Amino acid sequence: MTQKSLKIVTKSNNKLQRKMKQTINYITNHIPLYLMLIPGLIVIIIINYLPYFGILIAFKDYNIFAGNNPIDAIIKSDWVGLTNFNKLFTNSYFWTVFKNTIIINGLKVIWLFPLPIICAVMLNEIKNSTYRRVTQTVIYMPYFFSWVVIFSIFSSILSTHGIVNMVITSMGFDRISFFMDVNIFRGLLVFTDGWKTVGYNTVIFLAAISAIDSTLYEAAKIDGASKIRQIWNITIPGILPTIILMLILRVGHILDSSFEQVLVFYNPIVYDVADIIQTYVYRMGIGQMNFSLSTALGLFNSVVAFILIVGANTASRKLLNRSIW
Amino acid sequence: MGTIIKEETRISRKLPVDTSEKVISFISYFLMLILMLIALLPCLNVISKAFSEGSAVTSGRVYFWPVGLQMETVSKVLTQTDFLASLKNSLFVTVFGVVVSMVTSILFAYPLSKPELKGRRFFIVICIISMVFNGGMVPKYIVMKSLGLLDTFFSLILHHGLSIFNMLIIKNYFESLPESTIESAAIDGASDFKTLFRIVCPMALPVIATVSLLYAVAYWNLYFSAALYIKSSSMKVLQVFLKDLISNSVSVSESLITNPDGYSNVTADGVIAGATVLALVPIVALYPFIQRFMIKGITIGSEKG
Repeated sequence: MTQKSLKIVTKSNNKLQRKMKQTINYITNHIPLYLMLIPGLIVIIIINYLPYFGILIAFKDYNIFAGNNPIDAIIKSDWVGLTNFNKLFTNSYFWTVFKNTIIINGLKVIWLFPLPIICAVMLNEIKNSTYRRVTQTVIYMPYFFSWVVIFSIFSSILSTHGIVNMVITSMGFDRISFFMDVNIFRGLLVFTDGWKTVGYNTVIFLAAISAIDSTLYEAAKIDGASKIRQIWNITIPGILPTIILMLILRVGHILDSSFEQVLVFYNPIVYDVADIIQTYVYRMGIGQMNFSLSTALGLFNSVVAFILIVGANTASRKLLNRSIW
Repeated sequence: MGTIIKEETRISRKLPVDTSEKVISFISYFLMLILMLIALLPCLNVISKAFSEGSAVTSGRVYFWPVGLQMETVSKVLTQTDFLASLKNSLFVTVFGVVVSMVTSILFAYPLSKPELKGRRFFIVICIISMVFNGGMVPKYIVMKSLGLLDTFFSLILHHGLSIFNMLIIKNYFESLPESTIESAAIDGASDFKTLFRIVCPMALPVIATVSLLYAVAYWNLYFSAALYIKSSSMKVLQVFLKDLISNSVSVSESLITNPDGYSNVTADGVIAGATVLALVPIVALYPFIQRFMIKGITIGSEKG
């Protein structure tokens, strides 16, 4: 080694040392800042990272009594490789719940994604501010109702002697059992989801509309542009980034939405059309104690959801230069 | 301000009013009315059922106003079911949970809001991984079981203890605060904890109110985690109580009939309606605050997604 290169090495070594020293200095001077992170880290580790270790169950024949405690049992249970996944993918019911997950959430995107945009545009056209505020207040409220309460409200109005069936029979039609009919149940899920969320999403899009520069509208008015043209050429392009971002997010979460709603709403009669991956995991895992198989299904769900979410975020970064993280 | 608006309307009046504007305006008023009715009428029907006489409920004669006003159903739900016990459980979980979650979130958000924090990127990556990859329901259940937290409210508070999304809202708000104030506190020799609680938090009250409400609604409405982690019937939270009540409404309402002749205002549908209305009272009472802070909160959160 020549004298020169040796010098460079010691120089860069010195640099690294100085940097390390600076870091250690910073940390020792700011210990309180790191102490502040501890409670949050404890929660994240227990709720999110310890369960990652539990994913091993998917590759084992898990017997909860094999060890001193459930976690020790994970280590002591026998490896079975991909047997659980094999069992899963050859089971026709797996494809039923997979299909249901896609169909139910797909229907929700198709019907419920455009609706709040249309509502926001219309709400923006209402010039009477009291009327606008009252509308906003009323349609925003169901977002804060729990799924159990919404289930209760709808099972009450849709029951055999409920108000909806009274109207249907008075028009001469037969009663409908909304919660038992395989042809209607998915529609019921979509409608009640809309009932809960359309108002909330309307408010989000309305906020985006109100951020549009109002001089654009004045200029268009002077140019004699009709209202429809103004909506089409100013409002919609103005909120397009928000629309795309919300759509990407919605599609990214297609596998991990609807769980609590379906869990509360469904019953054995409509399992064929309503059972989704996560409700199946719940019944199989917690109900029947089939831990290994249900963890395998849960892992499949998590992996596909992970790909979708990361893909959605990449798409949003490329298209809009905005990312969720 | 007022004169400017008047000016604008005068200008627009001078211009020819196009018919499409009138049509769109009419359709908007009309459809928004329909939307409001869709949101309101189901609620009105359930409220009316809760206070209507039994025969009107069972024969489907109740629309949007009580038929044969009675309070028996509601008072029986309050006194002869586990409603109040589960309400107490839910209140405890909500109040305790909001305090824990807010302290955890604020403490976590503050260091992360400092761009010069060493290891900041590492902690943020930890958060993102936990957001995009879910360990799954069964592993979570097994972790709770082995920590001995099943059948305790602590499991619920831990499960919902830190919402990364809510924490990021707080962090973004902290980042938007004027740095000079915080720096001058540091020069005065205030410790990091003192700076956070004496100077930063008072400036961040709007976002603290918003996020507290977000947490409060989440805790009040939690159903699945309670159904998963809590088995003992004395620890049922309100949502679980309500769901069980709906599943067993016929037998519950029969047990509430005390009249010797078997006739009573208490019906299965009435009991469900009564319990639902009662469960909604806290949300409706909080709603004005939710309205005031949440819309602001949505804009705060979306500023820097």
